[in-house]
Amino acid sequence: MAGIEKVPAQRAGAHTVIGSSIVIDGEISGDEDLVIQGTVKGRIGLRESLFVESSGVIEADIETANVEVSGQVTGNIAASDKVELKADCKVVGDIRAPRILIADGAQFKGNVDMDVKELKGK
Amino acid sequence: MATSDGSTIIGESILISGSLNGDEDLTVRGRVEGTLTLTKTLLVEPTGIVKAEVQVRNCVIAGAVVGNVTASESVEITNQGRMVGDITAPRVIIVDGASFRGRIDMGEVDVEAGQPREAVRAAPSRPALRAAPRQAAPAAAPRAEARKAEEPAAPAKPPAPPAPVAMGAVKRKVIVKRK
Repeated sequence: MAGIEKVPAQRAGAHTVIGSSIVIDGEISGDEDLVIQGTVKGRIGLRESLFVESSGVIEADIETANVEVSGQVTGNIAASDKVELKADCKVVGDIRAPRILIADGAQFKGNVDMDVKELKGK
Repeated sequence: MATSDGSTIIGESILISGSLNGDEDLTVRGRVEGTLTLTKTLLVEPTGIVKAEVQVRNCVIAGAVVGNVTASESVEITNQGRMVGDITAPRVIIVDGASFRGRIDMGEVDVEAGQPREAVRAAPSRPALRAAPRQAAPAAAPRAEARKAEEPAAPAKPPAPPAPVAMGAVKRKVIVKRK
């Protein structure tokens, strides 16, 4: 659980945690921060931040304000604010967000689109 | 923050629709729809709403559950809990104030023997989700003894209150005599 303590200040607002042994197949939506340590397939739609911990596996399209990935994500990510790919993460899919950060060591395959106007136009 | 102790929390504004499987405790403060399968305890908090087929080991309902609940150990509906659906579990606890509509199946209930629950009660105790100690074991075992103890205790009590009750009794007796 060392991964959680890395960013305690940000996580303080997280009321929802999907634990490492949990598998969700379907749709998650909500208005609060979400920490994923387990597996989610389907779709995720949030108005706040999504944290994919190193044990987290996501096979879903993601639509949120912020995304921070330390685990694995397969699917398209659309964020209204920021997407951050941490070292050791694996991401396959397209990313659309005004700010995209990719750390050294991150693995990523897909398209990047930082043109927010186009995003909003669509 | 209860993030890191291997338990999952579904926050108040979160809606999960679909299937949810897991091997750890789950606390629901938001909404879960679909199917929910756990090998441990499901806790539905007062703000939580579960509309799902639920299959768990233990289930504590303080919020709302619509759907059938199958538990391998116990289901408890607390005084704030509301549930509509069928319960299948060897131990079912419904406390005063809880609302429930549905069927309950506790397995084979042997009315003749009078002590079919002993084996079930001896099963591994439920996790201590609530602070109040249950003292399940002592309460369960001397059930028969308690009944016996009550009988001799009854005559020992002070005689029934005299005036109104006695009068009612007398009246009734008189009517019977006239007939």
